[in-house]
Amino acid sequence: MEHKRTPKNIFVQGAILPEKIANSIANHSSKTDIGGHSIFLGQVRADQKEGGNVRAIEYTAYEEMALEKAFEIREDIFTKYPLTCMHIYHSLGEVKTGEICLFVFTSSKHRKAAMDACEELVERIKKELPVWGKELVDNDTSVWKENTNV
Amino acid sequence: MEKINTSFKVIAFGMIAEKIKTKELVLEGIPNTDVLTGYLHQQYPELQHLKFSIAINKKQAVGNTMIPLGAEVALLPPFSGG
Repeated sequence: MEHKRTPKNIFVQGAILPEKIANSIANHSSKTDIGGHSIFLGQVRADQKEGGNVRAIEYTAYEEMALEKAFEIREDIFTKYPLTCMHIYHSLGEVKTGEICLFVFTSSKHRKAAMDACEELVERIKKELPVWGKELVDNDTSVWKENTNV
Repeated sequence: MEKINTSFKVIAFGMIAEKIKTKELVLEGIPNTDVLTGYLHQQYPELQHLKFSIAINKKQAVGNTMIPLGAEVALLPPFSGG
């Protein structure tokens, strides 16, 4: 069912709400071949910057390219791991500290595939999707976010 | 000689758009990405200190790549999603 071969929109305007995550989990209760889910949630951190703390991140993307790339990554991961389901959601626009900006959800018959696929997806999303975060500092300055490997 | 339209659109993102103060440029007569980078460095010296990659029709260019007629070229600073 879930294993469709068409690009899906992964972008959500603003924060990803906990209700959306809860509903997404609930939507899988009818898929009784699933034995394990793995979920990664990215949350906006109040890093200390010169002149203040980060209060939000504003995300922009080269949307068409990002969707093509996300589709390519999705296909690779489906080929590599025996997954039942895979969902990716990424915020655009402003997300405040403490709010969720990335939601990656994988499901499989047994836990290992779901967990490994989830980790690989998160790594590839951060490395390969043309998305940019601008950290908005509480003194009205801003800093372009840089991704780390940890 | 017949004049052909060799213009193409360049879209800029993130820090690059901020530095060149526009999200879109129309350029012409630039055959490949090396020439494009040279032009941008000359026109916007600030870009000389910034890392960015170039996508042509939504594919990241590796090495010097030809810019086809009517291409959509994008200037991409290092990704920082998630």
